[in-house]
Amino acid sequence: MSIYWHLPILIIVVSIVYSATRFDNWSMIFREAFRWGLRMSLFLFGIGFALYALSSLV
Amino acid sequence: MPPTAVNSGPTPIPPVKLDFLAGLLSYLIPGLGQIKQGRVAKGLVFFVALYALFFYGWNLGQRKNVFLIDARDGSSPLARFGNDLYHRPHFVGQFFIGIAAWPAIWQYINFDEKKDEGPALGRMMRAPSSDEINRLQREESKTWDLGWVYTVIAGVLNILVIYDAIAGPAFREVMVKDESTPSPKKETATI
Repeated sequence: MSIYWHLPILIIVVSIVYSATRFDNWSMIFREAFRWGLRMSLFLFGIGFALYALSSLV
Repeated sequence: MPPTAVNSGPTPIPPVKLDFLAGLLSYLIPGLGQIKQGRVAKGLVFFVALYALFFYGWNLGQRKNVFLIDARDGSSPLARFGNDLYHRPHFVGQFFIGIAAWPAIWQYINFDEKKDEGPALGRMMRAPSSDEINRLQREESKTWDLGWVYTVIAGVLNILVIYDAIAGPAFREVMVKDESTPSPKKETATI
């Protein structure tokens, strides 16, 4: 199994815990958690794509 | 220094009352301080999320990636402890998960290289031999390393949880009575 399958739990936990330390209001917590989850996923996907492109093209 | 709230409205936001006991409880068990303060749901979220991440990482590493190595290097006990932390800095992050990492400290204190197991806890969180660490890194297709990263992140995230228990969330909501409206409205304050 690829190690990348272990990433979702990390993204979910970091997003929720970080957001819950920023707000006490649950709707704000979930909104902030979703934003952070999206940002982290896009960042990791971007890094992965860049590395894949480098290894394929160079 | 206690964080101060900033409010643009006419009513000043009351200063944060620091709760160090809750901080200690959240260090021992993630979320316990929040539960003590009555923020039960939030405390349970911290407890489940951080323990899930910590033990998931621990299991990824065959339960052999949370430990403190006794390198036997240093003249005084303090220098030796400093050197051991230098050789295994991961444990500084893992330590902040609280009680869950204490077996590693117990094993470190009672480490005897002539024995295979430590007292009371067996091999739980005991420092593996260098041969075993080499084998885990060679044969576990990076999951051993990924696992310790997860345990460190869980510990470091708990520092945020401890701060939340001591001083509350970074953005506080308070009920502010506005003279122009009959009902109080919510305002968010940044510390």
